[in-house]
Amino acid sequence: MASPLRPTSIRNLNLLLRSAPRFVQNQFRAHSTSTSSVNPTEVSHFNALASTWWDPHGSSRLLHLMNPLRHDFIKTCHASQPDPAPSANLRFLDIGCGGGIFAESAARLPSTGSVTAIDPSPEVLAVAKAHAKKDPLLGGKLSYQNTSIEGLPLPKSADDQYDVLSLFEVIEHITHPANFLDACTPFVKPGGWIVMSTMARTWTSWLTTKVVAEDIIGIVPKGTHDWEKYINQEELREYFLKQRGWNSPQVMGVVYVPGLGWQKVPRSEKLGNYFFGIRKDVV
Amino acid sequence: MNPAPSISRALRARQLNNYICNSCTQQIRRQRRSYVSTSSTLKSPEIYDVVCVGGGPAGLSLLAALRSSAATSGLKVALIESQDLSRTRTWDLPEGQFSNRCSSLTPASVKFLEGIGAWQKLRKERVQEYEEMQVWDGVTGARIGFEWMEPSNGTGEGKGRTIAYMNENANLTRGLLERIDELGGVDIYDGQKVEGIELGEESEDLDLRSWPVVELADGRRMAARLLVGADGQNSPVRTFAGIDSRGWDYNRHGVVATLLLDGQANRKTAYQRFLPTGPVAMLPMPGAFATLVWSTTPALAAKLKSLSPIDFMALVNAAFRLSTTDLAYMHTLEAGQVDELIWREKHTPFDVQHVPARVIGVQEGSVASFPLKFRHADTYIGERVALVGDAAHTIHPLAGQGLNQGQGDVESLVRNIVYSVTHGMDIGAQMSLETYVADRYTKNHILLGVCDKFHKLYSVESGPVVGLRSLGLRAVDAMTPVKQFFMRQAAGQGM
Repeated sequence: MASPLRPTSIRNLNLLLRSAPRFVQNQFRAHSTSTSSVNPTEVSHFNALASTWWDPHGSSRLLHLMNPLRHDFIKTCHASQPDPAPSANLRFLDIGCGGGIFAESAARLPSTGSVTAIDPSPEVLAVAKAHAKKDPLLGGKLSYQNTSIEGLPLPKSADDQYDVLSLFEVIEHITHPANFLDACTPFVKPGGWIVMSTMARTWTSWLTTKVVAEDIIGIVPKGTHDWEKYINQEELREYFLKQRGWNSPQVMGVVYVPGLGWQKVPRSEKLGNYFFGIRKDVV
Repeated sequence: MNPAPSISRALRARQLNNYICNSCTQQIRRQRRSYVSTSSTLKSPEIYDVVCVGGGPAGLSLLAALRSSAATSGLKVALIESQDLSRTRTWDLPEGQFSNRCSSLTPASVKFLEGIGAWQKLRKERVQEYEEMQVWDGVTGARIGFEWMEPSNGTGEGKGRTIAYMNENANLTRGLLERIDELGGVDIYDGQKVEGIELGEESEDLDLRSWPVVELADGRRMAARLLVGADGQNSPVRTFAGIDSRGWDYNRHGVVATLLLDGQANRKTAYQRFLPTGPVAMLPMPGAFATLVWSTTPALAAKLKSLSPIDFMALVNAAFRLSTTDLAYMHTLEAGQVDELIWREKHTPFDVQHVPARVIGVQEGSVASFPLKFRHADTYIGERVALVGDAAHTIHPLAGQGLNQGQGDVESLVRNIVYSVTHGMDIGAQMSLETYVADRYTKNHILLGVCDKFHKLYSVESGPVVGLRSLGLRAVDAMTPVKQFFMRQAAGQGM
């Protein structure tokens, strides 16, 4: 797992320190007038990573390892409902699906009816489609679309809406998260959930995701993350509760421990990676 | 990622190169490809979640476990076995006769088998549990007696606890098959040889190029999301996956026999004496019966098999009683071991309390032998491939751990598959299988290594090592906590 220190990392450290965290304003205060949530620089970055998406020892290894925890978190969210969650024919909308790590796994679950997965990067989506062809189980349940959320037709009725709208490792790549979440809202069924995972904007996350993961160990490709776009869970909570129509926010902090994998660590959402889920009011 | 396709291609090319010039080879390869693609359009493979090759104890318990767990009961599974399984189903021996292929099952294995509802199907009157082990050095006589101590600190390790269960392998496989038949839902292809394993092909809407496709003698083709090799030491599945298995032959054979003892012990004990040629063990079976496992040189094994029953019994009795010098001399005799034993026993002091009861009968046709090997595969997984049991490792039988390691593999692999299924993972993806190797490889490697070192340590007849190992055994015998540690290992609780 651990790769040796790269000789250039000390030089890079100097450069990096110049971009160290200063005061960064809450991303939610900045609203934009543009019509798409997608940042073109981000798209080209992930296009370049497309070919290694399903390589078990490639750049997406950490995401593969994290994926089972996403399902555990969704189970936690469903278990927190006072009314029982649907046990069959669940509809998923996976935004920023990438190579389809989560989308494929959601489609394989027996309780899933369908998964719609979208991503703005055509190269990444081509990899996702090619990979889904390898599993005969996915054919009827999983469909990919090369679009952003703004390009998806608005649901006409509750039947067109989704039980689970997932944003895994997405929101930190979005320039105007508030506009983006506004656009997601109409796709969620009453009583359905938005679930996401992202990173808190703290000194620790800057150190672990930028300095250690990207520069020193090189476990995450350089330039994958822009620390200034990271969002804290209080900001998400505040956004949704201010909007009204949302309830029961859930949060679960996770830490990657080399040799042990991803571990759920209570209260670590304040330090780095965390899951966040919130339920749309039933009426 | 997966070395299999290039290796199989290279192998194929190499085989052809022996006979045909290069340009012809290319032509043949082209023809072969077109042949394969037409055959596949005629008959595309049937798609399975798990195809298990090998219907021995490991393969059968894998299927019983998959069918009995709620999470995995929806998987489409198949078993391929080269032998006719109806012989296993109808296996029966009259009372007082036992198969010579027996294994010691640890409480951990029994607990697993109980959990999957298979242990309940075994004929319990043919299973013998034992609570005591007597192990000693054939050269110096240093001894270690294993028996559970009275609990001194309330740890629950009480007297009368079972160390292991002696059982005929056929009793286990019959019980497992009964459980599988009861659960249903397994496509069983028995009496069928695997003709070949190749990677699948890509079609308009499906890409099976990472899926192993197993072809049977009757032309049936099965694509496996996960292909499990429970197919023994010379595993064709392991060869397909391009996984090397390394090790050596001990230049020893294990001689087995079903024995009748003089009188029935009320306390069932397993006896093992380390002779310079290898350990000789006598393990209790129900009633006055016992099973013998005598590891020795191929020449002496051949000699043992050639003796008359009465001389064979004399030599077995001598192996637990006489000095190694006396024993070596008796091996050289053409016949008459029985008289030799009577005479020599008078001049050899031994503690009647610590040796097994005298052998007075040997079951006809039960004396057989097999070569002993050490093998460990480089890994247990590949893309859409997992190995369990002897396909992954072969161990020296001195600690009776071979079958138990296989059960441990299966338990771990099934746990891994259940996790994958409940988390939407592809059960055959190498990434999903990683935790199986991480869980099992080191555990097996330690056990393989310990048994190997024991074998080598006791092969030495003279010199400082002999004194040291006796000191070691005596020290272990004197230290209850250390002894309990070894017993926990033997009982499969430490690993």
